[in-house]
Amino acid sequence: MIELRRRSSILSAAIFLTASVALSGAGPTAAHSPDPSLSGGLFGQDQRLPFRWRSGSEPPAAIKTAIRAAADDSNASRASQAATFVYDSAGSNLIGYGTGTCGVNGIGCFTRTAPTGFTMWLREHGRPFDWGTLRWCQMQSVPTNGCYDAETIALDEFGHVEVLNHHVNFADESDYTDAVVQTFSRTRPKTGWDMHVYGPCDSATLQIRYDVPTLSSPYSPCLDLATVLTLSISDTSIAYGALVDITAYLKVTTNTAYGRLSANPIGKKTVRLQRRAIGSTTWTNLVTLSSSATAGTYVASLRLYATADLRALFSAPTNEGLRGDTSPTVRVTVAPCTAGCPQP
Amino acid sequence: MSHRRALLPLVLVMAGCSSTGMPPPSPTGPAPATMSPVPPMPSTSLPPAPVPTPAPAETVPADGPPAAQLAAEGGDPVTGQLGTYVWGDGGSDSPWLPGASLAVGAGEPLTVTFRSSAAVATWRARSVPSTADGPAGASVLGEGAGSPTFGAPAAGSWTVEVHVVFDGGVGDASYFWRLEVT
Repeated sequence: MIELRRRSSILSAAIFLTASVALSGAGPTAAHSPDPSLSGGLFGQDQRLPFRWRSGSEPPAAIKTAIRAAADDSNASRASQAATFVYDSAGSNLIGYGTGTCGVNGIGCFTRTAPTGFTMWLREHGRPFDWGTLRWCQMQSVPTNGCYDAETIALDEFGHVEVLNHHVNFADESDYTDAVVQTFSRTRPKTGWDMHVYGPCDSATLQIRYDVPTLSSPYSPCLDLATVLTLSISDTSIAYGALVDITAYLKVTTNTAYGRLSANPIGKKTVRLQRRAIGSTTWTNLVTLSSSATAGTYVASLRLYATADLRALFSAPTNEGLRGDTSPTVRVTVAPCTAGCPQP
Repeated sequence: MSHRRALLPLVLVMAGCSSTGMPPPSPTGPAPATMSPVPPMPSTSLPPAPVPTPAPAETVPADGPPAAQLAAEGGDPVTGQLGTYVWGDGGSDSPWLPGASLAVGAGEPLTVTFRSSAAVATWRARSVPSTADGPAGASVLGEGAGSPTFGAPAAGSWTVEVHVVFDGGVGDASYFWRLEVT
């Protein structure tokens, strides 16, 4: 999965951004890439979107509970600065339930007028459609196979409200659980029928559009962001055993396709300093640099006793959508020992 | 007034329209007068889910995605079932649909036309056996830009989904037909 992601992701990220500007565009987006974006604007970062039940069309208690849970799911799993949803009896965003909306065959629908607000609607339990009878699992005393999880469907709709269009799955749908915002939601007991968190390809788009929560936050593994690692040394020509300050800087590559993630400093990762003796081709790990209070900056102070090449290394994390990088090499020339000659 | 705001009334009509003709949800507007809370239905009162039966034709939301018709050369066009779509600033999520019935010959060229001037940016047609309840393992019948045209699958009963991304950033939609191929 990781390899597939890495092969396709640059293209898909570019396509994603194009789609996000142009519109909906589920068509050409590669599989296992971040969800396409909807047209229209964005909400503010961390904007609070209070919702209440539509008067005259309030959901039954079980569905209210599911929708509130879905709002909590969205807030907890957005992995970004996307908008948050909170029930508020005075909220301006209306969520309804029942007949008369969502088109002929829809079970849930939404409108979004970012940054002003949104609406959401779920169709009524027991509604006969051409495709069958809608059954919400939450409305059954004992959920039966074929029912829809209202919490999952509401989370799908909240994802739309944020900006997400439907994820484009592989033909065999083996990546279905990479996103909860799906063109065709599944019913109990199929895999993914009761997803209560955004999938990595949902949060990937939320990160691109709304940014990560902090500069030390994990990047969605559905992303494949190139990084840039640089290395600076306080003095590259020193006396024997002198102390030098090592500073590495790690950031996301500047790329408009990366949206708000472009050029982000990347904090709290593992960055190593490597050493290569003059005349050698082998790099050895010297020390793991400490993540400093300044995001993206990794530091160490070392005494050097021999001339050597140094470089910083950031290995791609296995659980994040960041590529590894190696800094340019910096040679530090150490003068010969003249007296005393302490050993390293 | 921004372009987005200008679209709002249109979108609201789209998102809320149905064959019942009821108004849509609105971010700030009053509840539709004809709507009333629907009491929870105990599961025991529900009959088993009926076997889906293809609909011959159906309406589409006003100001939403256009109706799509599929036809073989010289044959009568059949309006497809509208499934999940995004249109303007709204959208609707539907299940995988059984599709509107159409009898064609194997390999026969099929063309989708739309009851509006909406231009197609890209499209993809795929099929699964009509007994399937989702797209897993679907065979791609064709994809491309412009007007959708593809060949009918081999003899059998198939559900065909045509997913269309419309030009100009207005939206995308899935349409369904049930092909009886001889």
